[in-house]
Order: sequence, then C-alpha cells, then structure tokens
Amino acid sequence: MSPEVVQTIIDDLGALLLFTMILILAAGQIYRAIYAVATQSFLIAVAGAVLATATGNPDLWVIAGVTLTVKTMVLPFVLHRVVQRLNVRREVEPVIPVGATLAIAVVVVVMSFQLSATLGSVHQAITGNALPVGISLTLLGVLVMATGQTALTQMVGLFASENGIFFTAMAVTQGMPLIIEIGVILDVILAALVMAIMVLRVRSTVDADIADLDELRG
Amino acid sequence: MTAKGLPVWLMLAEMALLVVAGPLITGVIQKVKARLQSREGAGVLQPYRDLAKLFRKGTVQSDSASGFFRAVPVLVLAATTAAAALVPVLRAGPPAFPLGDALMLLGLLALARFLTAVGALDAGGAFGGMGASREMMVAPLIEPVLMMVVFSSAIFAGTTELRALAAYRGAWTSWIVAWRAADFLGFAAMLVLLPAETGRIPVDNPDTHLELTMLHEGMLLEHSGPGLGCMLLASHTRQIVTLGLVSALFFPVGHTGATGGIGLLAGAGAFALEISLLALFLALVESSYAKLRLFRVPPYLGVGFACALTALALRIL
Repeated sequence: MSPEVVQTIIDDLGALLLFTMILILAAGQIYRAIYAVATQSFLIAVAGAVLATATGNPDLWVIAGVTLTVKTMVLPFVLHRVVQRLNVRREVEPVIPVGATLAIAVVVVVMSFQLSATLGSVHQAITGNALPVGISLTLLGVLVMATGQTALTQMVGLFASENGIFFTAMAVTQGMPLIIEIGVILDVILAALVMAIMVLRVRSTVDADIADLDELRG
Repeated sequence: MTAKGLPVWLMLAEMALLVVAGPLITGVIQKVKARLQSREGAGVLQPYRDLAKLFRKGTVQSDSASGFFRAVPVLVLAATTAAAALVPVLRAGPPAFPLGDALMLLGLLALARFLTAVGALDAGGAFGGMGASREMMVAPLIEPVLMMVVFSSAIFAGTTELRALAAYRGAWTSWIVAWRAADFLGFAAMLVLLPAETGRIPVDNPDTHLELTMLHEGMLLEHSGPGLGCMLLASHTRQIVTLGLVSALFFPVGHTGATGGIGLLAGAGAFALEISLLALFLALVESSYAKLRLFRVPPYLGVGFACALTALALRIL
C-alpha cells in the first residue's frame, strides 16, 4: 500500500473513532457505552492490521491480534457480566448534562487538532491524523471518567483513554517496542479485573455506588 | 452562464417527479414497518388514496381562525415544492440557470416549518399551540446542524449548489474510496438527524394522534379537507427532499454524467435505489426504537451536532 492510501485509511478510522467516542459520551445506558467502546477497540485493531501490512512490522500484527481478543471481546464481556450481576438498568445522570459534555468534547477535539498542527516535527513522524485523534480520545476518556457517577462508566472511560494512547503509539512511524504495548495491555486487564471485583464486592457488602461515596461520615 | 449547464425544463421535471414520488416513499416506509410488526399493512399506494380522499372533501375551520389560516396550506406546499426543484434527481452538473443552492433549500424548508407553526397558532386550538411550541423547540436544534453538514461537504467541493456538488463527487467512479474522514462523521450526523427532520421516531411519531406525543401532527389538527391534503402532501415532499439532500451530499453514485435518455434513466434508477435504502433505514429505526421523551431530544440531537461540528473541524483543520 502506498503511504497516501495508508494515511487516508488511518484518517478515516480516526473519524470513526471520534464518532464512537461521541457515542460513549452521549450514551444514556451503560450497555450502549460498552458496545461503543468494544467497537472502538475493534477499529483500533483494524488500524493495527492496516499499519502492519503497510510497514511490514510483525509486532503490529501481534498487537492488533491482542487488541482484537482482549479489548474487543474479553473486556467488554467482563463489563457485560458485571452489569448483569449488578442488575443496573440505566445509568445515573452524569455530573454535568450530556449537552454540555458534548460541547466540551467538540472543544477538546478542535483544540487537539490545533495543537497537533503546531507540533510540526512530531506530527510528521506520525501517520495522518493519529496524533490529534489520539489526544482527543485520551482526554475525552478522562472526561468520561470524571463525569461518570458509576464505577462502570469510569472503566469505560479508562478503556477509551487507553485506546487513544494505543492508536497514537501504533501510528508512530517506527512503532513502539512490543514489550511496552504488551505491558500496557496487561495493566489494563489487571485494572479491569480489579475494578470489576471491587465493584461487585462493594455492592454486595455495603450496597453503595461511587455516587454515594462523596460524603464523609465521622 | 454556459449553455452546457442543465436546462431549466429538466429541473422542473425533477421537481414534479419528487412531488409525485413523495407519497410513495411514505407508503413504502409504512409497508415495511407493518411487515416488521408482522402485519399485512396497507398497500404502498395508500398515501395517494388518502390525498385523493382529502381533496374531494369540504373544509371546516374554526371560527377564531383568520383569513391567513386558509392560505397556510398552499404556502407551505409551495415552499416545499420550490425546495424540491433544488435537489438533483436525474442528472448532476452545474445548472444553466441558478435556481438556488443548498442554503436556499434549507431556508425554504425552514419557511414551510415556520408557516406551519404560525397556522397552528392562528387557529387557536390548544393542541396546535402545543405542537407549534414543541416544533419550534426542536427546529433550532436541527437546522444549524443540517447547515453544518452541508458546509462540511461544500467546503470540499467549493460550491453550495447541490447539482454542482453532486457532480463534483460523482467525478469519481468509486465513491466510498473517495470518502474522506469528514464524510464519515458528516454522514453519521445526517443519519442522526434524518428521523428528526422527517418527523419520525425517536423524535416525533407520525402515526399517533395522542396529545402528549405529537409534534408535527399536532399542528395539522385544525386543518381539514383540501387544506389538510396540501399539508400532508407537503410533509411527504419534505421527506423525499431531505432524503434527496442526503443522497446528493453523500452518494451521488447514479449521476453518471452520461447524456441522452439512457443517462437520465440510469440517474433516476440510482436515485430510486438510494432513496429506498434511506427509507428502509428510517423504517428500521422506527421499528426498533421507542420515541424519546421531549426533554431527551436535545441530547439526542446533540450527538448529531457534535458529529457535524467535528466533521467541519476535520475539513478545515
């Protein structure tokens, strides 16, 4: 594949990633956010496969495969199980209204595009729009974590954030060392498992959620 | 203006075609919905029969309505029909005589919406006023976003004239390969907006006359006979015009540029295919979602707004 074609495909995937991020931000029900984050991880895996064919770097194939199995199948499945065990039907209202969140999201996207345009030499080392898209996904993931009231929403935000970092790392011309990527993936799995267990334990012992924990009692 | 542009008679023929085909699309959507609900459903020609029935009937209007009320259906139909003249159907390409561009189209649709609301208020009915106030709450959320989607394509092509825009896109043989990042987001925004603009679930419900849920239907309650017929025909036309706008902005596949009768037929066939696909999408959305509460509508349309603005940002930055 010629560099222009790869760049176009990465740009297109970046647009779809931003779309899934908007869906996560606007999701009223936790199920939809989980499906959206799974789709997002799938797109990341596709981007990995495209970059692997383009650069001939075998590490990228491994990363794409691991992303596909772990982040599009296993982690959403774990989240889904937690949702079923908790039996939450709908999400608690976010701290700020959805409309305001979306407005902040648009500002973040525009600012990260503006920012990456000023980073001339860094921008050139990365294929297409992967840098601004990655920055936006990371920041918006943090936004989801900050505004979500339940631990599940915060987990979804963590995954989205992590997807953003991954997308940028993949698109760096030389590619990241495989061991670092594997380490990051392991971190995420561990975080997800710990959080899942915590959520279930907390719920089963004290019947409280994150939203109920903002008041200190002496 | 060059002599090579599209002749005016062709554009007027396209306008007539859209107005005639409008009720058919509604019929198809209703048929698909009925089948998805395991019902037989009325035939696809049912909207035509309804219109014919209404045009044969007499008119009754409330005593408090002014003379303007009688003019509203005709004006609404006229504005919508004029908008239909701006959508490319048979052939794309810069027109010989500029009738108007995409902004004109959106303006005419907004004018029709405004007149409908004014007519509903004029009759003095409680439901009409409620419907009008709700419609006016939703409209400012839809129209700017549609405008932004149009701009995100127009910046690329350098023109807001829909026929020229479609021709610019149609220059490629493989359109999906030619889609840039912004097109994906713009199309996503359009798919979110489409049910809202055509007055369907999850924003509005075209089938119900339950006072708590109506937006558009509530405004038509005071109209009767030929007036109601005009209003219904206008809403059928509005729907097909909106679908035509989407197809002109994103899939001008059929606009082959071939001259002569074969080119026109191919264009018409491709247009029918695109419109049917979008109609199928609407029917599927209507069958698989519930209507949103009124105060849930702004966040839903906010998704479209965010997508459109991001598409515009991607195009500019």
